[in-house]
Amino acid sequence: MPTIVEAFRARAEEARSVVHELATWSGVATLALVLADADGRIALSPSLARAQPVLSERLGARVLLPDPGDPARSVADAAVGIVRGELAVAETGSVLLVEPELADRVVSMLSLTLIQVVARERLVENLDAVATTLAAGGPPAYASLTTGPSRTADIERSLTIGVQGPSEVHVVLLG
Amino acid sequence: MTDREPPPTPHAIAPFAVRYRAALADPNVRDGLLDFQRSWKATRDEQIASVEAITGRSFDALRGELAEIKDGVLADLDGHLARFRARAEAAGTIVVEVATAADANAYIADLCRQRGITLAVKGKSMVSEEIGLNAALEAAGIEAVETDLGEWILQLAGEHPSHLVMPAIHKRRGQVAELLTRVVGRHFDPDDIPAMVRSVRTELRERFLTAGLGLTGANALVAETGTVMLVTNEGNGRMSSSLPAVHVVTVGAEKTVPTLADAIRQVRLLARSATGQRITTYTTFISGPTPGHELHIVVIDNGRRAIARESAVESALRCIRCGACANVCPAYQVVGGHAFGHVYTGPIGLVTTAYHHGLEAAAGPQSLCVSCGACATVCPVDIPLPAQILDVRRQIAVRGGGLAWAKRAALRAFASRRLVDIAALAAAIVTWPVQSGVFTRIPRRLAPRHLGWRTPPRVSWRPAHARPALHAAQPPIAVTGATGRRVALFLQCVADRLAPEIPIAAARLLRAAGAEVVVPEGQHCCGLPAFDAGERDGARRMARATIAALDGHDDVVTPAPSCVVAMLHEYETLFADEPEWRDRAAQLRGRVHDLVGYLSTTARLPRGALAQAVAGGGGAEARVTVHRFCQGSNLLGAGDRLERLITDLCAIELAPLAETEVCCGFGGSTSLTAPEVSHGILTRKLDNVVASGARVLVTDNPGCVLHLRGGVDASGLRVRVVHVAEFLAARIPIG
Ligand code: SF4
Repeated sequence: MPTIVEAFRARAEEARSVVHELATWSGVATLALVLADADGRIALSPSLARAQPVLSERLGARVLLPDPGDPARSVADAAVGIVRGELAVAETGSVLLVEPELADRVVSMLSLTLIQVVARERLVENLDAVATTLAAGGPPAYASLTTGPSRTADIERSLTIGVQGPSEVHVVLLG
Repeated sequence: MTDREPPPTPHAIAPFAVRYRAALADPNVRDGLLDFQRSWKATRDEQIASVEAITGRSFDALRGELAEIKDGVLADLDGHLARFRARAEAAGTIVVEVATAADANAYIADLCRQRGITLAVKGKSMVSEEIGLNAALEAAGIEAVETDLGEWILQLAGEHPSHLVMPAIHKRRGQVAELLTRVVGRHFDPDDIPAMVRSVRTELRERFLTAGLGLTGANALVAETGTVMLVTNEGNGRMSSSLPAVHVVTVGAEKTVPTLADAIRQVRLLARSATGQRITTYTTFISGPTPGHELHIVVIDNGRRAIARESAVESALRCIRCGACANVCPAYQVVGGHAFGHVYTGPIGLVTTAYHHGLEAAAGPQSLCVSCGACATVCPVDIPLPAQILDVRRQIAVRGGGLAWAKRAALRAFASRRLVDIAALAAAIVTWPVQSGVFTRIPRRLAPRHLGWRTPPRVSWRPAHARPALHAAQPPIAVTGATGRRVALFLQCVADRLAPEIPIAAARLLRAAGAEVVVPEGQHCCGLPAFDAGERDGARRMARATIAALDGHDDVVTPAPSCVVAMLHEYETLFADEPEWRDRAAQLRGRVHDLVGYLSTTARLPRGALAQAVAGGGGAEARVTVHRFCQGSNLLGAGDRLERLITDLCAIELAPLAETEVCCGFGGSTSLTAPEVSHGILTRKLDNVVASGARVLVTDNPGCVLHLRGGVDASGLRVRVVHVAEFLAARIPIG
């Protein structure tokens, strides 16, 4: 029997995500810097930036925060985006993003490479947990269960990664 | 579908005949779709096996559960919608229910006018195609830009989707590259698909950032939470529903599910059935407007409640638009969705088009369906599509005009055994000079559309029922469960006159297994051809005569499993309102067997009983392969029974045949009304036969035998096609 982490990793990799197990937020910042190359900007979802000030400290001038006046344009095509995931689901290798605020959503939607950080204890076996999580306490205005980078098979059913959404997805199991 | 005026077709969709010819003229369609169907089937089967492993439940159990959920909603659609509305409105969403396509379009156009919106970005939505939203918005001065890659390509090409899930699947890479080169104004290399994909991102980015309206469909409305569920892969659905200040969802009322847990059950089957993925990249749950934005949900009826009122087709509303039924449809592979369908394509389109766009729009493609039943085997909500398609045909036949006069006259003549005998005799005399062996060779130029690709069978001078060989003695070779049983042999009308050797071989086999074979007088045709054509009255007449002829025997056996399908499945529908005949049909159902089934169970001969090498080909040295009668696999659940019977009795090894359960293209009337489709499907079958390396092709339905023989003869292949009865009877030990 594979462990739940192994199962998650296998399914997420099948969906072309890269899975990391990291101990700290500071490790997440390091990962973002590696992925962003020398001068790429790193977008943070505002809710995450508020909750984890260490990220902004570590990333310094590289940080990009959505401009409330035009959040989408301000972060479009950021080299890397970092968002927090509510759940990771082993059944499908998916991460549930709860993003009622547009400013959070644009980061997960428009970054070229996306890092989704989920607390290790929020890794669950199966999709049923998504239903219970969303239903508990009234559903959020906007939530997405995301599984790997954006893709299409619309031309001759040839799988091509990276359409409107991120073309690279890293899932960090934190802690 | 009785009192409604058919709603106008929203699109400029060409007449069926024009679409059919265009599809046949474009080899990209059939070549591309053949590759597509093969690769889809492999990934879909893998994913269905995976969900069975994950849940510990069978596909049938899982789809039964989802079907039950959907049925529960349909039983109280208004109640579920009211619950959905209450929750959604509490969260600040505006929910509008509209009756017609025009109402939906008017609401959205008015909203744009009030908000001063002139540009909309649009995620993929079949409902928007159904109601002709783009054209309506354009007429109101609003530009609606498709943002799903496939839909965008089609919008640039001025076409509509040919598939529910993969709208541009009929286009090959070269065509897309040429289109993009022309429209985008840069060169695109047909072999650089990633570059073509990237173009949709760069070309549409600014539109996303400036559009005032985002339009999407919905995969489910969750009543419990007022949630819209939307699944996409590209990310355009999330952007269309997030970036513009106004988001409008167009959705059919039937998409409602009770709870989020139910929506998750749908998710488990949807992507697996649609694209062969475990799950789509984005499954989005929208339960209210984003702060500062507006969310409108336009719930559309447009014929849905009319479907719900008719018990024969009601369950079509379970459809989750996965497209699986098209992906296994052999006729769809030949002509694609522009011909096989209207706005909604594939088998489900043959049903629902009648209600969304009128009977006339639904009529043309009916002739393409070969009734093979493959669609029903993969549908994740277990819709009985073959029966529903036949019901729509019935409606078309009742309204008249649907069936060509000549076809109706032929079906009437078929209803009478005496007329058929006279006609068959006349045909035998007329074609005598061109008959050779088992074939009637007609000069190809005389009738190329119907005959060039398939040599017609010779009409027999003397049908099986008038031949002494049918009654000749055959000593039993073993004691079986059939020993001493009185078995009525149902010859089947086609085999009786066109392949008398088949019922004769069947009689020998049954006698070899110890049965006392009788050939009841008065038997003729089970009624299937008329039923298939929607001619219910004619079918009922033939069914009554068949039931009466077959009364009073221990077992009824036929070498034609197609007739068993009719007796097991269609008679119940035919006699729904005639209790006496319904009971007699039920009694028959308990006694009727197709030959392979009977030999595999009651009349089971010992292992190796027919392990004789036979002279004249087909002996142990020739490679033998098996084509499964499609309805046997798809409707009777026969599985690999035919292969097991042959290997067991004859102790030979069979060469595997790829896609053995896929139809051979005979399809009853399809080979007359849409011969190009029949031919296309036959070609796929024969290509597989050639690839198997076999020299002998065994199958179990007389129609398939004749069709395959004609195809083999016309294409000059060196393959002998035999019915399983002949194959086995030739191995009965003598003395
Ligand atoms: S009818 Fe069944 S298989 Fe066809 S699209 Fe609908 S849900 Fe899928």
